Parts: sequence; structure tokens; C-alpha cells
Amino acid sequence: MPALIRFDRVSKTYPEGDAPRVVLREASAEVAAGEIVAIRGRSGSGKSTLLNLVAGLDSPTSGDVWLGDVAVNRLSPRERTLLRRDRMGFVFQFFNLIPTLRVLENVVLPAELAGRGPRAARERALALLDRVGLASRADAFPDRLSGGEQQRVALARALVMDPPLVLADEPTGNLDDHAGEVVMQLLDEMTRAAGKTLLLVTHSREVAARADRVLTIEDGHLVAPR
Amino acid sequence: MLPRTLLATGLRDLLRRPLHTALLVLGVALGVAVVVAIDLAGDSARRAFARSADAVVGRATHVVLGGPSGVPVAAYRDLRRHESVQAAAPVVEATAVSDTLGRSAVRLLGVDPIAEGPFRDHLGGGSLRAPGFGRLFTEPRGAVLSATLARRHGLGPGDALSLRVDDRRLELRVLGLIETAPDRAAALDGLVLLDVGVAQELLGRGDRLTRIDLILAPGASPAAIAAGLGPGLRVAPASEQAETAIQLTEAFHLNLGALSLLALVVGMFLIYNTITFSVVQRRAVFGTLRLLGATPRQVFALILVEAAAAAAVGTLAGEALGYVLGQGAVRLVTRTINDLYFVLAVGDVPLTAGVALPGALLGLGAALLAALPPALEASRVEPIAALRPSTYESHARRLLPRLASAGALLALGGGALLAVTDGVPAAFGALFAIVLGVALAVPLLTATFAARAAAPMGRVAGALGRIAARTVERSVGRTGVAVAALTTAVSVTVGVSLMIASFRATVVNWLELTIRADLYVGAPSGGGVRATPAIDPQLPARLAALPGVEAIETIRRVRIASEVGEIALGASDLGAAGAGLYRFAAGSDPDPWARVEQGALIVSEPFAHRHRLAPRGASVLLQTDRGRVRFPVAGVFYDYSTEEGLVLMGRATYERHFEDRAVSSIALHAAPGVDLDALASQVREAATGRALLVTDNRSLKREAMRVFDRTFAVTHALRLLAVVVAFVGVWSALMALHAERTRELATLQALGLTPGLLRRLGLLESGLMGALAGLLSLPLGALLAAILVDVINVRSFGWTMELRLEPGLFVQALAVSLAASLLATVYPLWRLSRREVAAALRQE
Repeated sequence: MPALIRFDRVSKTYPEGDAPRVVLREASAEVAAGEIVAIRGRSGSGKSTLLNLVAGLDSPTSGDVWLGDVAVNRLSPRERTLLRRDRMGFVFQFFNLIPTLRVLENVVLPAELAGRGPRAARERALALLDRVGLASRADAFPDRLSGGEQQRVALARALVMDPPLVLADEPTGNLDDHAGEVVMQLLDEMTRAAGKTLLLVTHSREVAARADRVLTIEDGHLVAPR
Repeated sequence: MLPRTLLATGLRDLLRRPLHTALLVLGVALGVAVVVAIDLAGDSARRAFARSADAVVGRATHVVLGGPSGVPVAAYRDLRRHESVQAAAPVVEATAVSDTLGRSAVRLLGVDPIAEGPFRDHLGGGSLRAPGFGRLFTEPRGAVLSATLARRHGLGPGDALSLRVDDRRLELRVLGLIETAPDRAAALDGLVLLDVGVAQELLGRGDRLTRIDLILAPGASPAAIAAGLGPGLRVAPASEQAETAIQLTEAFHLNLGALSLLALVVGMFLIYNTITFSVVQRRAVFGTLRLLGATPRQVFALILVEAAAAAAVGTLAGEALGYVLGQGAVRLVTRTINDLYFVLAVGDVPLTAGVALPGALLGLGAALLAALPPALEASRVEPIAALRPSTYESHARRLLPRLASAGALLALGGGALLAVTDGVPAAFGALFAIVLGVALAVPLLTATFAARAAAPMGRVAGALGRIAARTVERSVGRTGVAVAALTTAVSVTVGVSLMIASFRATVVNWLELTIRADLYVGAPSGGGVRATPAIDPQLPARLAALPGVEAIETIRRVRIASEVGEIALGASDLGAAGAGLYRFAAGSDPDPWARVEQGALIVSEPFAHRHRLAPRGASVLLQTDRGRVRFPVAGVFYDYSTEEGLVLMGRATYERHFEDRAVSSIALHAAPGVDLDALASQVREAATGRALLVTDNRSLKREAMRVFDRTFAVTHALRLLAVVVAFVGVWSALMALHAERTRELATLQALGLTPGLLRRLGLLESGLMGALAGLLSLPLGALLAAILVDVINVRSFGWTMELRLEPGLFVQALAVSLAASLLATVYPLWRLSRREVAAALRQE
């Protein structure tokens, strides 16, 4: 399979007092299209930084992050916004649903921002809500939903644009075991079935066990666990 | 175009935060209300004036005017036969005070019912068929008045109507009432119609008219007509007098309008603070939106749409509130116009498009302007930064030096504008630039002072004192704006109060200097300085002969035409005794009163300023009964009786050039040891049968100060409103501050901060903010006062006055600032005390 994501000697340093903190040191790795990869590491090891670099939310100090044939870090802010909108879906630890939008509106939002026709966007959003078991809650506001339900809505929203890549940052970090299991089950099924690439950051051994491959950040390098 | 769902996030957010939205709406509403109320008052007064001017002038194209003694009837006879005159109507006009009509001032209009037809429709469109109207010709003391006026005072046909005009009492009978459409009723309100012959007789005008109204044939030459009328008469456009009168009030309205904009500016701080807070609280939401593909422009537009939606509601509420406040403001403004300018009755105060639209545009514009910085702030944030808290404060702190530099530049620009221009609007523009410039620098000053205050506050109040000072410093993005709003409101209050105190002290000094006789005799006319009541010319001699009277002085006040339009002229018989009566401006003749005796004029400071006359070497061309005569100016005297300005000439000079022999008021000096009450009784006796007021020195001064204080009554209300808006600004800032520090405060509570200590912490924070605002407002207030006194007053009214920096006002300002700030803490602290600590600790 061709590589969808490629880290090419990526370094990332944060200014921190007199001595800068090095998070990544010329890290290199590839993630194939359709692959599910989990990233693990200690707290502060740079797991989320890696995800942010792929999303174009942060820039490497040196090296390049490639998405297909595009070096994400070389794009303009506007190009990065459009890349995220059209080719990535996001799932966060704290769900990040818009509290003032109903469930269906939350799912439709990315499609609407991309200028998709409202009817098609709505149909796809309803189908996805049905798939995550929440079609009956389409008109509810997020604060009426449990944490697990909110994360399922976030999952539907991540897939509404049918992106080739889904980025998930501790998707079960704020859920109990059962809700976490349900969400991971859905995330696994929906991405794998559609042939999407899933890059997920997690502390959980069980979550990582669902991945095709696990990468660990050790001393600023991306390595396969021993 | 914003996607519908994105739009819904913003608008629903307004509904989900009712308190925030209410603050936003309140900021706009209060600002718009004050602007609309003041504009409404000014607009209603102007329209009422235009309508009553129309009612009096009617369809006349020109008027023939004479000197103080009026126009001879012979001129009317000549004009009726003149080929260029299509129609002519004789008019006798006077201002009367009526006891029957609630002691209000009314306009007495003596007209010829037959000649009236082409000019005015007062008599029911020229119809004399209505009962009573025809008897105007035959009834020697009959009058017709508007039905509205009559009904207001319970009068009907046949009732007696008692009036005082000049020093005469008139007992009239109501012959009929003029019924008009409601929209025209206000124009006739305050008008009493008589037959012109009856008016001449009752007012002792002999064969003189006040004016002759003309409708000239197209292409007729007014100058040619005037040439045939004799030296003392002139033909002027009919609108001339109304225009002169309305121009007089322009500076008054402009000053009031500028003060009303202040409330809007303070309201803008409130809007800015509230929207910024809402942006800060929703950074995660905006971050998510950006991650999902919303562009910076869409986020920017979203915040502006939210602001516009709240502003639209605020503007509507402000218009309604402004309409209600406007009814009160109209009363205050009309009273001042009646005191100072001319008789005016404002019947209705409708909210016209001309008032509502500018108010709405100002409200929406101010809200969008105030929303721009937070909208830009939200749109410029990188999505990753938007997901991290506390970047706003670090960004706000970085902005402080830039803001302060921009403020310094703005204030310097204001100073430069003051130096290079000489107009009143430019002076107000400069004033606003300086206030805004200083306001922009206030956050930096707040951060600097608060940082310095941590150690001393720690020594006084321990750890809480240090926390309070550091909170104010660290959250300067929030606290700085609240301090800026409070500083602006309090400094303007200080500035205006100092200006009024300086003005008051100057007027008191002036009254001491000019009101030096023991008793004053005058006719009780309404109409402010434009009234020119006439007292029997024989009376001064009779009063001078009374035992106990050492000396008398008279003054005749008239309005005459000049090369600079209609002016107020005073004729004084003071002669050499005038020395010391006025202070003269530098450059005046060393002995101006001696020159006055020789035929020169002296002019008041506002007159010299308005017409750009030098104290010496200038001259003024006056229309006298003997023709146009140029008089030299011997000096400029300080006078605060009228902003229109006053020209004084000697009585002998006046009698050489004018036929009028009346006087307007008489001043009596009592011999030493004379009982003034007894003398006043003798004076009243000597004037029996005359409607005269005898006033002693102290009462006259008191009355003058009462009018002065009444003139500034409206500014008290405006200043109070500005402080209320600033109070709400501090309140919203504290609410925001507490919301942002939920976890921090909850942690302190978990560590043992009792409710009492929590209150103390809150009061220390707001007390520090109030003290900073109070201290900063003192120098700024003094600067504003200096600009108001030395620049704006001089440019608006031509009055020089001495700036008095009264310490009591500074202490008051500090107290107001501290009180507003501490009071604003009450509700936020109460809310804080009801919160569950455990829940607050969990809050992200």
C-alpha cells in the first residue's frame, strides 16, 4: 500500500525557559493508506504534537510532514484549513461538540462549511447518526447526551466529509470502560470498513491492541515497541 | 455569506447566555437612549420653533422692519399701493406673560383680519364666519386664541384673559377659539390674536406697527422698495428673524449632543468587554470550528453578526427608552431655551425618522466598532492555540504597549487638532481623541500600577492583598478595559463639573460686579434675552424724586438691524458712573465709558468673538431711525448675560439716533441708612397700575443663579448615566473575571478561603480597580476641564472664564469611582458564594 502519511526527519522543539525542550528528534515514519496506527508514549512525550503536525495545527522545527504528495507544513494557513476540512476528520478526548448546535447540526456543520448541498449533507449525517445508534437523538443538544453518546456524535461528524484520514486524540480518555469500548468498536469498524487511515493517540493498551500497528515515542524518535 | 449552521451557533449562544446578552443589549441601549433623548429634545424644540415661526410669518416673503419704536402705519398705506407688492399685512407683536394661562409666556399678535387672508390661516383659513371672530373688529378688548391653549387652562368664549405686556396689565375677553388639525395645533399654541388697532391701543404703540408682512411680486427688488420707505426702515426676507433666533441655539444643541455621545462611548467599553469575554470563553468552540474548516473570515463575521444581532435589540430598546427619556429632556431643554433664548412651546415630541435613524446607526456602528477587536482576535487565532486556555491574557499583555502607543498618538493628534483648528466640532473631535487616547493607555497603566501595588497591598492585607493586585495585573485584558471605562466616565464627570464650577464662580463674580444697585424695577416678560420690555419713560424721573433714592440708572434693551444681522443693543445712562461696572478685555480703550459718552460703543466679549472685532479700532454699522450709521468700538467688556452678545451705547447717543424713549429696567441706589423694604413699597406705590416687578439686589442675583443652575440640570442627568454605564462595565468585567477564575477561586476555597475572606478578596480587587480609575481620572478630568473652559466655551459662546480646580470635586470623583467599583462587586460575589466548590473544581 502507498504511504498516506510520511514523517521525514521531523524535529520539534518548544522554547521553555533557557533550555528549549526537544519533543521530536529527526523522527521518521510512514503510515499506509487504510492502515490503523496507534501512537503511545509517556505523558509529555509528544504524542499529541505528532497529531497536530499531521493536521497542520503546528509546524515542525525542521523536516517535513507529508500527506500524500503534499508537505503539510509548507502550505499556507488557508490551504491547511481547506486540507483539514476536505481530507481529515477529528475525534477529541473532550468531544468538542458545539454546544449551541443540535446533534444533527453538529454532524452537518463540516459539510456545510465546505459548501456541500444541505440536503445531501443532511442525508449523509442522518445515515451516520443511524450507524452510531443516535438517529433518534438528532434534535437534542449535546448537553443532553452522555459522554459516550457525545463521542459517537463526534465520530459521525469526523466521517461526514468522507475523509481519507481520521485523527483521534485519546478518543476514550474521558469515557468509562463500556462507553470507551463501544466508541472504539465503532471507530474501528467505520474506518476499517471504509478503507480509511486512522491515526490515534492513546494511553490505553486495550485501545492500542485494536490497531494494525503501534508506534511509540521514545527519546524523540518514533519506534515500534520491543 | 455565513453557512446557516454556523450562524445558528452564534445566535443561539446569545440566547444561552442571557446575562451576557443582557449586558451587551444594555450597553447599546443606554448609549442609544441618551443620544436619542437629547436629539429628540433638540429636534422637537427646533421643529416647534419652525412651526411657530411659520405660524407667525405665514406665507410672507418679506417683512418691513423699523427701529425699536417700530414701523409707522403710513408705510403700510404706501406699501398697499406699491406695484411690486402683491399683498401687505400690518402686524403688532409682543411677548406677554399671562396669569390666566399659568404664568406662561405667550406671543401676542395684533393682525388685520381682512388683510390676513393671503398670509395666515389662523382664523380658520380666513373664515370669519366662526362665532366671535367677526367681533375682533368691534370688540375693543377681544382676543382669539388656540383651542388647545384655551382648553389646557379651562378657558372658553366669553371668559376673561389677563395679560401683562411691558409694564401694562391687559384685561381681555376671549371671543373665539381657533380649532385646527392636531398637527398644526402646536404651532398656534402660545399665540393670542388681537385686532391690530386694538393691539396698538392696548400696548400704547400709537400709530406704530411692529412690522409689515409682504408678499412681493416675482422679480421685485426689496432694496428698491426699502429706498422709498425712509431712512429708518428696511425690507428683509421673512425668514431672517427665525434664522437668527435658531442659529443662537445651535451651540447649545451642539454642546448637549457632544455630551450625549459620551454615554455611547462609555457604552462601547461595555460592549467591547462583553464580547471579548464571550470570545475568550468560547475559544474551544472557535478552535473546533476552525478545525472543522471554518475560515478566519467566517469566524470574524460570526462575531460581528452576533454583535449586530444584540445591537439591533439594544438599539430598539434604546430608541424606546430614548423616547421616554426624551419627554423629560424636552422639558429641560425647552425651559433653558425659554430662559436664555426665546419663547417656545413644544406641543408634541414624536420620534421622527430624522432622530431614530441616526440613533440606530450610531448604536449599530458603535457596537460593531467595539466588536472589531475581539472579532479580529478570534479570527487570528490558530486552531491549535484556540484549544489552549489563557493565550488571550498573554496576547493582551503583549498588546498593551502597542495600545498605549496608539493612544498616545491619538491624544497627540487631538492636541494638534485643537491647535490648528478654530471650530467647535473640531474641538469636540479633539476632546474625544484625547479621551479615547488616554483610555487606550489605561490598560498598560493598570498593569504597571497593579504590579507595583502587590507589595504594599501584601503588607496591608497579607496574601489576599498580593493575590488581588496580581489578579488585576494578570487579567489586565479584562480589568484594564473596566478601569478604562470607569476612568473615562469619571474623568468626563470631573471635567464637566470643574467647567461648571469655574463658570459658576465667574458668573458669581460678574453678578457681584454688575448688580450693585439696591433695587431693580423691570417688566416681568418671558422670552429670555430676546425680550425687550418697555417701561413708561416718565417713570425713572418719578422714582428719582422719591425720598431715600440717591441715584437711578436706566437701561433700554432693544433689538435692531446691523451689518452683522439683528443684534441686541443696550442704551445706558450710566456715563462716567459706569466705570468699574464691567471688566474690560486687554486692548480696550483706557477709559471706555468716557468714549461711550462721546458716542462710541462698547461690545460684550461674545459679540466681539462672534463677529471677530478687536477691542480697539473696530466699528459696527447700525440701522438707526436716522439711517445707517457707523459707530466706533471703544472696548470689549466681559458679560455673561447672553451668548448672542450685547452692544452698549450711551443713552444720549441712543436718543440722538432713535425715536424710542422707553426704558427696559431701572436700577435704584438708596441713600445710606434707608430701609430697603420701605423704599420698595414706595416704588411699587409710584408704579401703581403698572405691571412691574421690584426686586432687591440679592433676589436678582439668586434668580440669575437659579437660571444658571437650571441650564446645567440636563448635564447632571447625562453625567449620572455615564457613571451608571461605567458601573455596569466594571460589573461585567468582574463577572468575567470570576468566571475565568472558577477553578482558581475554588482551589483557594478548598484550601481554606472562608466566604468572608473570599468577599475581602473580591473587594480588594475591585477597590484597587476603582482607586486606579479614580486616580487616573483626576489629571484627565482637569485636562478636559481646561479644554472645555479655555477652548470649547470660548469657541461655542465666546466666554472667557477662569479655570477653578476645586479640590472637593476631585475628592468626590475618587469617592464615586471607588463606590461604583465596590458596588459592582456585590452581585458577582453573591453569585460566587452560592457556587458549589466541588463542581467548580471539576470545571475545565
